[in-house]
Amino acid sequence: MAKIGTMMDVGKRSLQNSQTALQTVSHNIANKSTEGYSRQRVELQANQAIGEGNLRIGTGAKAGLISRTNNPWLEKQIQKEQTSMGFQDGRTEPLGRVEEVYNEQINKGLNNYMTQFFNSFREFSNNPESLSSRTMAREASQQLAGDFKRVNSQLRDIQKDIDGQISNLTVQINNITKEIAALNEKIMQVETQGIPANDERDRRDLLLKKLGENVEISWAEGSHGQVSVTAGNTAILVSGSTATDLMAKVTDARDRVEIFYRQDDYGSEFKLTNNFKGGKIGGLLDVRDNVVEGALGHVDELAYNLAKEVNTIHIEGFDRYGKPGVLFFEMPETVKGSSEKIEVNKTIVEDVGRIAGSKKPGAAGDNTISNMISSLQHRQTMQEGTATFDDFYNSRVGELGSISQRARSTQEAQKSILEQMSSIRESISGVSLDEETTNMIQMQKMYDASARVIRTADEMLETVLSLKRM
Amino acid sequence: MRIADKMTSTQVDRQIQKNKAEMANQQNQAATQKRVSKPSDDPSVTTRVLSARTDENSYKQYIQSIVQAKSFIDYTEQALSELSDSLVRAKELAIGQASDAGAGEETRKITAEEVSQIFQQSVQIGNRKLGDRYIFSGLQTLTQPFDQRGEYSGDSGDIKIQIHKDAHVGMNLAGSKVFLGEGVSGDGIIRASSVNPKTVNELNEMRQEDQQLQKIKQDEEFNQVQTRSLASTGSTEKISKQDPISNSRGVNVFQTLKGLEISLRTNDKAGVQESLDMLDQAISQVVLARSELGSRVTSLNATSDSLQKAVLDNKAMASQMEDADIFKLVSDINRTESTLKATMETSGKMVQRSLLDFLR
Repeated sequence: MAKIGTMMDVGKRSLQNSQTALQTVSHNIANKSTEGYSRQRVELQANQAIGEGNLRIGTGAKAGLISRTNNPWLEKQIQKEQTSMGFQDGRTEPLGRVEEVYNEQINKGLNNYMTQFFNSFREFSNNPESLSSRTMAREASQQLAGDFKRVNSQLRDIQKDIDGQISNLTVQINNITKEIAALNEKIMQVETQGIPANDERDRRDLLLKKLGENVEISWAEGSHGQVSVTAGNTAILVSGSTATDLMAKVTDARDRVEIFYRQDDYGSEFKLTNNFKGGKIGGLLDVRDNVVEGALGHVDELAYNLAKEVNTIHIEGFDRYGKPGVLFFEMPETVKGSSEKIEVNKTIVEDVGRIAGSKKPGAAGDNTISNMISSLQHRQTMQEGTATFDDFYNSRVGELGSISQRARSTQEAQKSILEQMSSIRESISGVSLDEETTNMIQMQKMYDASARVIRTADEMLETVLSLKRM
Repeated sequence: MRIADKMTSTQVDRQIQKNKAEMANQQNQAATQKRVSKPSDDPSVTTRVLSARTDENSYKQYIQSIVQAKSFIDYTEQALSELSDSLVRAKELAIGQASDAGAGEETRKITAEEVSQIFQQSVQIGNRKLGDRYIFSGLQTLTQPFDQRGEYSGDSGDIKIQIHKDAHVGMNLAGSKVFLGEGVSGDGIIRASSVNPKTVNELNEMRQEDQQLQKIKQDEEFNQVQTRSLASTGSTEKISKQDPISNSRGVNVFQTLKGLEISLRTNDKAGVQESLDMLDQAISQVVLARSELGSRVTSLNATSDSLQKAVLDNKAMASQMEDADIFKLVSDINRTESTLKATMETSGKMVQRSLLDFLR
């Protein structure tokens, strides 16, 4: 038999349920713009009915779980795409700067100074007797050497800048892993009670994405909902509620920042730089150690070969005073670092008469040697005699241009993939004000109606109580 | 599809960003007038533009070199023209004194004086300078090539000027060739070698060759038999001498004049008559040298013309590749602008509205 008390109870619980639902609505609205937030729903269930004779009378609703609307598979995929995105982001920006070093559309660069250098020797050939044409040749040579240095130092500046970025990223990564470890613990505490830790999980998903953007990670959720995160194949960054730091520092072996990992305070350090192939760090490392290092190698090669070829010819000649030619460029010892060290011989800087243009001593009008030097421009001296200096340099510029172009278009493509996926994610987990408003109205009405039920029960009770007086 | 509020705002944001990026790119093109402003805009065009620019700059230098070479050649030509005038005058004088009709010991003595003047004048022509450099002293451009007796102290070298990627041209005529008749080729034309060594090996080969030629010449001179008596020395000393290198017979202008002068002074009619032949040869040697210079100028002019055209072609090509098409660009900018405006207007409406606006 139905009881008035039960009816009151049902009303009361319904009142509470709608209040819970309303509070969840307000939680959703408040987090409408929170990054990584998934909308939450109160799962209302019908209460256990009470059987009486052949009647089963319902006892209202109860609030089950508050769950988040979320597709974990999608989240994981987004995280992976975010790693690719980070890699492209890491590459594109410094590549743009590398390109600027070689930008001859607006500024004068090596191409221009090389032509000037050879032209100055042509002018010197026209007037081997004149001091002013010698001076011009010296100026052009010094400018050329100076531009080699400019390219070298600008490229190294980019490397230095990347070093700084890597150190910063390492700090960020360490902060993120600490927070993930803390969340792991919290989630475990909450979920052992059988309650889903919605907000904590949202936050952790977001952090994993951010971590993945910076560095390529693999992660898996273990028992008690804790995730363990591994980076660079071997470095366990988060395990349960402990996080282990990455360290970035300069070593003695190389003047670049390297990344190290140490399992615990007593373990030994591992260098992990070469393991980082993905994420922003991977992209930055790729530019620093492959692209820029390669570009430095090429400009070194160019400087070295140019100096070598010019010197080989120049020492065969005789200068204004009939003395045999000196080395024109102070010879870099090794190819590596040539573009930094290349310098016009001091003897020539101090006395342009020492520039040797003649093939025999005492012939003031002889320009055979200077003709030979200027002919170098069209001689195939680079890459086993298959390319001229200009060919070599120009194709390197083209190469860097296309690397940068490709990076930019891949970045665009990756960006639109990611945007598409985020949009799908929002479509599933995002908060819609319209929806929440409708829910709000619905729940408010439920609240009203529940209150009405209680009042009705109250009135019924009053009716019953007033029976006796009559 | 379920539309969450964040989707709308990111979409709006993305589209406006995209439009603005395009706008910025187009604005940059308009400001620089260039379609390609950094290598990654179009790597292959960048490479080609760079090499076009190198070519353009070196072509300009070649043109400049050609101008200088031409002025040098013109100056040489002028000097040789004066020289041939003098030789013609000497020939006229010699003809007048070659027979006994209207000429005798006295007139020959007087004429000898004039020939001596012509000799001096020719030496002066041989010592002409353009700026600081003697034009007839081969590579020894700072050494005076001829002394008062017509002895040569220059060399036979050619000053070579680069006029194209792999082409050099000799711009001078060494005095030893045009005045002394040494190293004149078989057909009597003075040719400048236009080969400049490229590698050190080639340079050394060239040096060895020079040394060998030098040696042959010295041997030849050493073995030369004097054919005439001392009194008229010089007049025929080298007349029958073949150039050991080219097997040609060149004429020593100064010895010819000197020989004529001596013959006149010694009233040697036969000597004067002999000199006539020599003078003819000398004149033709100088004329041939002048024609050689003329043909050099012609070829330089042709090269210069083709270089100038190449500079223009290069410019046109580079411009076509890297310059922005302004008309297209302006219309593109207008289109982007109206797209941006439309995006903003529709976005404004989309972002504002929600169910809340309609609940009172």
